[in-house]
Amino acid sequence: MTPRDTCSLPPTPPNDDPAVRARLASSHVALVGCGGLGSNAASMLVRAGVGELTLIDFDVVEESNLNRQLFFRDQLGLPKTEALATTLRRINPDVTLRIHTTCATEANLVGLVDDADVIIEAADRAETKAMIANVLSERLPDTPLVAASGLAGFASANEIVTERFGEAFYLVGDLRSDVRDELPLIASRVMVASAHEAHVAIRLLLGHPEP
Amino acid sequence: MKVDLALFAYLSQYQPDGMGGRHPRALELPDQSRIADVIELLGLPDQPRVVFVNGRHAPDDHVLAEGDRLAIFPPVAGG
Repeated sequence: MTPRDTCSLPPTPPNDDPAVRARLASSHVALVGCGGLGSNAASMLVRAGVGELTLIDFDVVEESNLNRQLFFRDQLGLPKTEALATTLRRINPDVTLRIHTTCATEANLVGLVDDADVIIEAADRAETKAMIANVLSERLPDTPLVAASGLAGFASANEIVTERFGEAFYLVGDLRSDVRDELPLIASRVMVASAHEAHVAIRLLLGHPEP
Repeated sequence: MKVDLALFAYLSQYQPDGMGGRHPRALELPDQSRIADVIELLGLPDQPRVVFVNGRHAPDDHVLAEGDRLAIFPPVAGG
């Protein structure tokens, strides 16, 4: 299946569970970043039945990650991609995983996400988020990109929303709560944002984009 | 020419009318203005940003046209 095919299929009827399962099982989502956003979104996608994920991250699991990221104490020091892959395969041994333990850059990003039907930006630094949005929106303008911005702190989780910012660019968050303002990253609010990202991806795969 | 300008998050304070808010407003520009010219005109800070014109990504050297919908969004850190 070539890129975009899944997202351009006719919408899956909401009450047709076999069709929903079949569509998700044949879908491929790439996650650029496997930290607070990416690790939690990946688990939700696998539990929902998405058949193939690409995991991209250069980092290793540190103790400071355990407050919000889907890793465990016995995984400290492991590459996040490999640790996450182990956990995802415990959820579904049949999931197909493409693992890239490397830093996503302007030069390699398009090759890393390959032929994913939907791409999730799950980075932490603002510069990296902008790079991912700019590179992918420019070079893969028709592949849906789901990004997150504004999820730090403990303001109401109801402020975190999903909106369609461009033709194929979806934005999750409150757009303003910035780690650089010394706001803490709280598991519950980070996971709300990651759930939004996973859910937008699932809706896109099922042919039901946000308006 | 006129374009519709929407500035998101903290960039909204740079709307020429000083009213803030993310809703789009008409901006009068010389013909053949580029996105980089708008950024300079508004005095936007040199921070990461994502720019869309009519729902599609556009680079800073993109030449704007009458009626274009220009949206500028600054990602913030955290993940």
